[in-house]
Amino acid sequence: MTAQATQARPLLAVEGLDVVLGHGWQANHVLSDVNLKIWPGEIVGLVGETGSGKTTLARTVVGLIRPRNGRIVFDGAEISRLRGGARRRERRSGHVQLIFQDPLRSLDPDLTVAQIVGEGLAIRGGIGSQEIRSRVEDALAKVGLDSTVLYRQPGQISGGQRQRVSIARALASDPSLLLCDEPVSALDASNRNYILRLLSELRDTLDLPIIIISHDLSSLAGIADRAVVLYRGRIVEDGPVSQVFSAPRHPYTALLMASAPSVKHDRSLSVQQLRRTAADPPSPSAPSACVFAARCPFAIDSCAEQPALVPVAPDWSAACHRHEEWAGLARSRTSAARKG
Amino acid sequence: MTGNPPPDEVLGIEDLHVTVHDGAATAVRGVTLSVRTGEIVGLVGESGSGKTLTCRAALGVLPPGCDIRHGRIAFGHQDVTDLSRRGWERLHGTGMGAVFQDPTSYLNPNLTVGGQLAEVLRVKQKLRRHQAHRKAIGLFTAVGLHNPGHVFHQIPSELSGGMLQRVMIAIAISCDPRLLIADEATTALDVTIQAEVIELLRELRDQRGLAVLFVSHDLAVIRELCDRVVVFYAGEVVETGPVEQIIERPRHPYTQALLRVASVGDFQRRQLEVIPGQPPRVGEETTGCRFAERCPAAVPKCLAGPVDLSTLAPGHHARCIRATDPELALITAGQSAAGQSAAAAEMAAR
Repeated sequence: MTAQATQARPLLAVEGLDVVLGHGWQANHVLSDVNLKIWPGEIVGLVGETGSGKTTLARTVVGLIRPRNGRIVFDGAEISRLRGGARRRERRSGHVQLIFQDPLRSLDPDLTVAQIVGEGLAIRGGIGSQEIRSRVEDALAKVGLDSTVLYRQPGQISGGQRQRVSIARALASDPSLLLCDEPVSALDASNRNYILRLLSELRDTLDLPIIIISHDLSSLAGIADRAVVLYRGRIVEDGPVSQVFSAPRHPYTALLMASAPSVKHDRSLSVQQLRRTAADPPSPSAPSACVFAARCPFAIDSCAEQPALVPVAPDWSAACHRHEEWAGLARSRTSAARKG
Repeated sequence: MTGNPPPDEVLGIEDLHVTVHDGAATAVRGVTLSVRTGEIVGLVGESGSGKTLTCRAALGVLPPGCDIRHGRIAFGHQDVTDLSRRGWERLHGTGMGAVFQDPTSYLNPNLTVGGQLAEVLRVKQKLRRHQAHRKAIGLFTAVGLHNPGHVFHQIPSELSGGMLQRVMIAIAISCDPRLLIADEATTALDVTIQAEVIELLRELRDQRGLAVLFVSHDLAVIRELCDRVVVFYAGEVVETGPVEQIIERPRHPYTQALLRVASVGDFQRRQLEVIPGQPPRVGEETTGCRFAERCPAAVPKCLAGPVDLSTLAPGHHARCIRATDPELALITAGQSAAGQSAAAAEMAAR
């Protein structure tokens, strides 16, 4: 990353983050030892399956969930330690903004677009209604909506427009970091590309770093600079999107890529080569084992210990004991099982 | 597309018109399609293009206010267009099964999933409690649920989305239907799970000769699973044909545009394209081709009158007057390169 070379300090640094939801016997370790840095002006794609902790990570970063361990440093200030009034002030400053998946459910159906976009500013206080009005119109203009939608309610505009309204709501408070949780999952292909292009343009014009959570790998590949792959609460791979997606170093990333439906058929490895079969030797089942061991066809005894996220190339790290060997092993697995 | 239906046809829809808002608007306009035994047919199109209404008409479960205005629906050569409620009930489960996008909204959250499957078997097949239990376990095994005896006694909130979708498929196929209608059945799933469900549907087709009508807005999924594709646009079928032909050589400009914006599965940085403009609103009447307003290759003749489906090859039809024009592909491809920024500006201004 050129950004890393020129910028000494990341905008956001998440260090050793552990998040546990629930108490006592219901306690659920959702994130374990998550380390992540976000540099100014980059788009980071956060991928992983349901329950991998993507959304929890986003919610923890914006301060909706308190981590058990670890630090979240935003622009040099440790925001995870803030309590009481300081915490409220930080949240109301709107530095970090979260955009949700389903705009129909995340926008209040009884408010008008103008009220939705301006609500955060009104709550922050100290801004006159004229000023709020002009900032609302500015924010809407940035997402390509004109003032005709100002007095409509979320139910009266189309799905793509609704998602643009939620982006405008986030932009109104002039954020330094945008987190988008599945921003395009509810949209069809054309609107999906429109929203992704819009996010990419916002990054270019406002130099705004954006974290996009998505399970649509192909559209992420179109705009993201870096991909971070989560599996059961741990980051298993983190690197430049084109390299991670074309030659993954973690078998789970490879499985994700092979599973993604594609109009073309040019995969290097098939799903069958990356899935465990009954014939594979049993994988280590110790509680300390690698999170992916139970599904990994390449697990060996040393996988009984969770591997750390280690650099495998410049700006690229993976958490796999066998990151150098497994791809070769996969190729030699029964290619007879390959299907069209 | 006309003439006598093939002998192994399971579902035949002919010239279907469905009105919405108590007849105020027509949302499905003259849809003709057929599904044969052991065939997987994909319906693709933008939201609001009439895919789901067509499916619901075929299932006899149109929402209130929606009516079949014209056309004919045949299930295994039996005309079911005006079937009574009782008749539909007999057909549901035993004749056709359905799987929808969100399994949690179709399962009772307070009952065990096994109990809900067994209930279907007891009502539809008059099985006794223990017979139903045994068959339910067998079905859970067939759809690839590990430890089916344990899953039987779990409630929906204890299962993952992929497992719930398998439960839904188990319920849908429990009474050996000949047709499975899957409406966006894999849309909400993770890619790894989606790949498994697609494999499961393929297996069910191979082993049981199940016919599947598979609705998705994702062309890549359709490409993976289906034998034939029906492309919907604004309530009409605009192109239909074997999946390879549609993907490799789409002839209708809308299909071509859809393919360009689809997640094509090349995981490279690229310009994300959009289809400029908006489809006509439901019930909005147009003269001529309904795609003309957004079509880069539109000529005045496109708006002259209704465009019919023309046959391009056996089984391949497109609703475009320029479908056989060699220039068409050049124009639409050129549009894709040059006109995208203009398209973005136009979308922004909308």
